[in-house]
Amino acid sequence: MAARGRRGRGAAGGAMDVTVAEFIRRTVLKVPRSHIPALLQAWGFLPAARLQALDVRPLKEAIAEAVVQLCQENSASIKEAAVLDIVYNHTFQNKRVWTVYQMTKATGGETDIFDFTAFKRKFKRRIQSSLINVTINFKEFEDNAIWIRIAWGTSYTKPNQYKATYVVYHSQTPYAFISKSINRSNLPLLCQALIVASNYGDIREMELRSHCLDSLKDIVFKRYSQTFQTHHPKPLQERNVAPENVDPRLIQEDKSEKERIQRVNQEVFGDGPQPKLEFAQYKLETMFKSSPKMVNVSERESFRCLVKFSSPHLLEALKSLAPAGMADAPLSPLLTCIPHKARNYFKIKERKGVLAAGLVSP
Amino acid sequence: MEPSRAYLSPPSFLPACLPGVLSRLEKLEARARALALKQEEAEQQQRQEVARLRARIKQLRRRRDELKGKVSLQQAALGRREEATSSGAEPVPTARVQERALLQWKVETVEAMLRVFYLTGISGKLTERGVCFCLSTAYDGNYLDSYYLDIVITQPVRIHRHSVPIFIPLKRIAAKYLQTDVRCFLATLSAHLNAYVGRKYQADYLQKHFSAFLGGHWQKNSLYNMLAFNYDVTTESSTFPFRVKLLYGDLDRSLPTEASVSCKEDVPASLLEKAATHSSLFMNMALHKAFDTFRKAAETPDNTE
Repeated sequence: MAARGRRGRGAAGGAMDVTVAEFIRRTVLKVPRSHIPALLQAWGFLPAARLQALDVRPLKEAIAEAVVQLCQENSASIKEAAVLDIVYNHTFQNKRVWTVYQMTKATGGETDIFDFTAFKRKFKRRIQSSLINVTINFKEFEDNAIWIRIAWGTSYTKPNQYKATYVVYHSQTPYAFISKSINRSNLPLLCQALIVASNYGDIREMELRSHCLDSLKDIVFKRYSQTFQTHHPKPLQERNVAPENVDPRLIQEDKSEKERIQRVNQEVFGDGPQPKLEFAQYKLETMFKSSPKMVNVSERESFRCLVKFSSPHLLEALKSLAPAGMADAPLSPLLTCIPHKARNYFKIKERKGVLAAGLVSP
Repeated sequence: MEPSRAYLSPPSFLPACLPGVLSRLEKLEARARALALKQEEAEQQQRQEVARLRARIKQLRRRRDELKGKVSLQQAALGRREEATSSGAEPVPTARVQERALLQWKVETVEAMLRVFYLTGISGKLTERGVCFCLSTAYDGNYLDSYYLDIVITQPVRIHRHSVPIFIPLKRIAAKYLQTDVRCFLATLSAHLNAYVGRKYQADYLQKHFSAFLGGHWQKNSLYNMLAFNYDVTTESSTFPFRVKLLYGDLDRSLPTEASVSCKEDVPASLLEKAATHSSLFMNMALHKAFDTFRKAAETPDNTE
């Protein structure tokens, strides 16, 4: 399964591959210095006593060399190095762009008991039946997330450990989160392996992409805050309220309007924190509606236009548009339907039969 | 060098350009003094203006308070006149008061009824397009999360939004019951949610409060319908690790349908018996209660279990 080099470094304790040592060294160098002890502990490969003795004061190169030395003493193989890579990417998961994929069951089967060992076996078998030179590793985390790391090679090259693909899967859910791999030619094989291993029939890419993996999970697992109409009063939550103006002689002119905007905003967005998305893209394929004077532009063709909203935290920004006075409340449903429809890439076509503006279509 | 400006004529050893500089400085000084005087005057005027405006504000406030007082007096007089003109000053206020008290009681009863509905676990509120149901869950005397379903009453009835976790088989239950029997649909969904929440509660409680007994190698899944872990069994001589695998085949029950307890081969026969009893214990009792009995047994000095 793993491609090992033939040479080994004859250090004290055991032989470790040069490529493995280099990979571990480079992975440790990527980590910010303050996170190195916690990361190595989460890795769980090096003995705790030696980890405590590890000195993090000198330069990172020295720390990396010390870690490589420890790994050599404990005979680390590519498997442990891959697990370290998984732990690094799990800690810094927001550095990658994640795409959500949805799987559907071909038959209405009963919910099966998820067997992790069988899942791993089926997944590896499916991929290795097409491609021998791959490195596949699994790690299960506390929140039931299974991280799969695949390093791809070809028929004649070893797997490229530095450009691995990551898949995050929660058992008994029909969603998988794949971090964009540069090499898209291996994607069909990966999707095939996923549906075979998890007993689904089909997989499709959703139009939902973001850096923040937890927010993507919140959106598709319906964990984000939605408002529902209920008779049961929810307990009051502490909210950031502007300090009460104690002087009764000062009144706000547009107090009722502000309250209305606040109420409408709360109905649409809810009380809690919004999932974190970075952009929303709308591709317009509608006709150009112009004033009668501008007859140059041909009204037969559709006006191709791409509108992209980007922000460090898009949904919070949209939520604060109306209270800041920059947009009318309620906001356009095209913007507010993003978490509910679980997509941030839209195509807007003409509404058939009506000459008005277009509708959202999948 | 003109001799006319004698008081300013410089001594002879200074160069010729200096008298011009000194006169320039004098001019600047005079200008600065004039400006300072002007500024002081302006400030004084401003202070006077502010004082005048303050006095005016006070005056206007007094006038406003007077007018307010007059208005309130008039309103009170109007109210009294109204009451006096209606038939009998006495019965009318009490009738109004009675009506209000009745209304208040009605409102309170309705609110209490709604609260009772919430506590039963399934409650709902009519919306413009349909109903919004709230399924609240509880286990072992604790109220846990609430899940919501926004249902639109069209033909066919469909679920518009919901906050049910993704691993609960909502689609399957809806396909089976939603169109035909809404009550059954809600009951089944509520049973599933309560069972899931109960299983999760047991597992979390176990990990939190009985960590001394547990040995690690936790295996679970999102629905919490498969749980496997190691735990220690102590006898008078030593401690033996047992491994238990619990399978919850019925998703609407919080007790396992299959419990297999295993241990290593080279253990005394009494422990094998113990494994069997533990197995049946897990099948019939909640996890944390089972471990509670273990703990009690371990604490009592009597070791013949």
